[in-house]
Amino acid sequence: MANPSSLAASLSPEASPDLVKRAELSEIDASTKAPAIFLLGSSVLWLLLGTVFALIASFKMHSPNFLGDYEWLTFGRIRTAHLNAVVYGWSVNASFAVAIWLMARLARGVLRHTGLLFTATVFWNLGVTIGIAGILLGDSTSIEWLEFPPYATPLLFVAYALIGAWAIITFRFGKSNHIYVSQWYILAALFWFPWLYSVAQIMMIFSPARGTVQSLVNWWFAHNVLGLWFTPIGLAAVYYFLPKVLGKPIHSYYLSVLGFWSLAIFYNWAGVHHLIGGPVPVWVQSAGIAASFMMVVPVVVTAINHHMTMVGSFGALKTSPTLRFIVFGAVSYTLASLQGSSMALRSWNEVTHFTHYTVGHSHLGMYAFFTMVMFGAIYYILPRILLKEWPSAPLISVHFWTTAVGVIFYVVAISVGGLKQGFEMNNADIPFIETVKNTIIYLELRSYAGVLMTVGHIAFAVNFTWMLAKRRKAGATAPTLFRTGPEIELEASAR
Amino acid sequence: MNRAPLIFLGIFFALAFSWTGIVLVNQISYGDLTPVYDENDGIAYPQALPGIAQQGRLVYQDLGCVYCHTQQVRRPGFGADIERGWGERQSVARDYIREPRVFLGSMRTGPDLRNVGTRYVDTPTSKAGSEWHHRHLYDPQITSPGSNMPPFKFLYETRKIVGEPSVNAITHLLPEQYQPEAGYEVVPTKRAESLVAYLLSLKDTYAYPETNNVYVEPAPEETKAAGQKEESK
Amino acid sequence: MEDWFYYLVALPIALLFLGSAVYALYWASRNGQLKEFERGAASIFDEEEPVGLETDHFPGKSPRRG
Repeated sequence: MANPSSLAASLSPEASPDLVKRAELSEIDASTKAPAIFLLGSSVLWLLLGTVFALIASFKMHSPNFLGDYEWLTFGRIRTAHLNAVVYGWSVNASFAVAIWLMARLARGVLRHTGLLFTATVFWNLGVTIGIAGILLGDSTSIEWLEFPPYATPLLFVAYALIGAWAIITFRFGKSNHIYVSQWYILAALFWFPWLYSVAQIMMIFSPARGTVQSLVNWWFAHNVLGLWFTPIGLAAVYYFLPKVLGKPIHSYYLSVLGFWSLAIFYNWAGVHHLIGGPVPVWVQSAGIAASFMMVVPVVVTAINHHMTMVGSFGALKTSPTLRFIVFGAVSYTLASLQGSSMALRSWNEVTHFTHYTVGHSHLGMYAFFTMVMFGAIYYILPRILLKEWPSAPLISVHFWTTAVGVIFYVVAISVGGLKQGFEMNNADIPFIETVKNTIIYLELRSYAGVLMTVGHIAFAVNFTWMLAKRRKAGATAPTLFRTGPEIELEASAR
Repeated sequence: MNRAPLIFLGIFFALAFSWTGIVLVNQISYGDLTPVYDENDGIAYPQALPGIAQQGRLVYQDLGCVYCHTQQVRRPGFGADIERGWGERQSVARDYIREPRVFLGSMRTGPDLRNVGTRYVDTPTSKAGSEWHHRHLYDPQITSPGSNMPPFKFLYETRKIVGEPSVNAITHLLPEQYQPEAGYEVVPTKRAESLVAYLLSLKDTYAYPETNNVYVEPAPEETKAAGQKEESK
Repeated sequence: MEDWFYYLVALPIALLFLGSAVYALYWASRNGQLKEFERGAASIFDEEEPVGLETDHFPGKSPRRG
């Protein structure tokens, strides 16, 4: 890269018109291989680690003496390590992988600057590792969703800046003459996150705002990580994989655009609903409630669109693992969002705020929606970049059924427990300790659900590792699963 | 046509809108709240925490207490915060302005701690407040059977008695099954002491002008100290 | 604080949100942002993976003809 003209050519399409040609899909997929495998590999490791943390935290909630003598495993730390491992380790790594693969495919160009991307992902994982070690050792900031100690965050920021720069370059090199809605979501998410993250870091940690302005910044950030990072990436994946797997265009492209803009406008005000009744100005709370309620618009629009695309093709759920996970995720998105809107209503918030019900809601969003969509996307992407099939169909089924049943069981158990807790907590005649004791049984049920989900994660990890280790068939240019009928017949007649 | 710039503009303004509304406007409108100087008391409220309590605040932070305990009292009629005795009045923004990091919290697995310093109190003649906290932290089952709060035994040191027993030892406060072997004593570490000091310091009892608008539980014995509460009626 | 106060404040803000959304849509349609939706929806398909081809199956199961 010493030659300045070649550097310019690699950064801008105008400088090198001869480079502009549409690439073959398989060529594009292959170009994403190195960074995507690294990202997916690390995301699976973080998923397993985050699951272990989750189980320890969950057991501790009903059996407080479990591992009670270890300071670094105390609930306040292990719970935080769980959140950060599954959010910044598993979810962000997976979403990076899915986003770059989608970006490359939708821009119709082979991936450029994989070195840049690779450096970024190494930095990211380094930052997450240092951050989680810091939390366990007692350096947590105790700011929800921003617990990484200040010595870990610059690494994350560098990583993020590199990925953002990469995304812009890829987009500029795009050969597609149309910006598909998934690209809107991904580009928006890539743009929003650094803004949120830098404002939050500055106003919370490096130069803290005074008093409860901090809390506003905190929830503006924390809720928008969900709404303006994970939700757009998850929806981008749904908007791509749902029509792609079925082989039919999305029901209404118009609705998908409407959904995008209404989400962009309403979601980012909604975070204040975490502070209803708190010591922050009443008008911001009201704005948060209003925005949360208006979220019904993008959610219903998106739900209708997804459902109408599926109509007539439900049979494909039997044959496609990707579709199963994606559809499960899309339905959960609708449920989680409508639940979220209802929880912002003052009378309902009075009951559910500060209870385990909120924990159920967050798992409905981050797990039943986002994580399941990522699983589905990985089942689609990995065969195409490795040019091999998944080694075991039964393991895929085990993965789907344990996680699907597990998370439903989880959400139902913890929500019922949370509601009971909420109603009892608002009745001052019931001693507080009784409200605690009455939740224990639900917390135990939650642990069982967690064990079930763990089984699914192990099945997934085994299949994943096996796939990486498996040898590719000689001469394979594509996984057999997406070869079309005629090709297979040709091959058969040649034998 | 290339619509990317237009889309980008839309994306930019969407977030700029909430950033301005939620973060910027509030930072400008109440980001520089100042303490209120009470001429009768000769004290500016809220008061700064004593040094040892500041250290305890950091222990509270590193152990993640905030994930199960809130520090905010909601207004009467919205939840049962006041009825449960978690505070005499609703928390207001000014209560938090001295805190380098605000621990409002979002979960009540355990009770609200905003005014825990009024519930367990040390007086010149009695250490009842800190003794309760030490027993509770050592193992919550001692004071609150059935609680799911984790034990914090690791904040205490069991050590051999060399010469005179330590004056800080909490051995005598612990029930029989927690007693160390003969010749040993249980002593709080510096962190345990500072955490307890922090918990003892948590109280918002001063009535600021703005709390008059909200609601103040009549508290006759504190009327003198709090000065302005009369007007709240 | 009375409940009506919240709704008095919340309602206009909701309407403001709604208004800005409607305006954004109006602007988008004026600018031709909403045209060619069918082409948009079809842009993820091509001759390699055409409309009508299901592209994902459990491993080992023979793919259905497109």
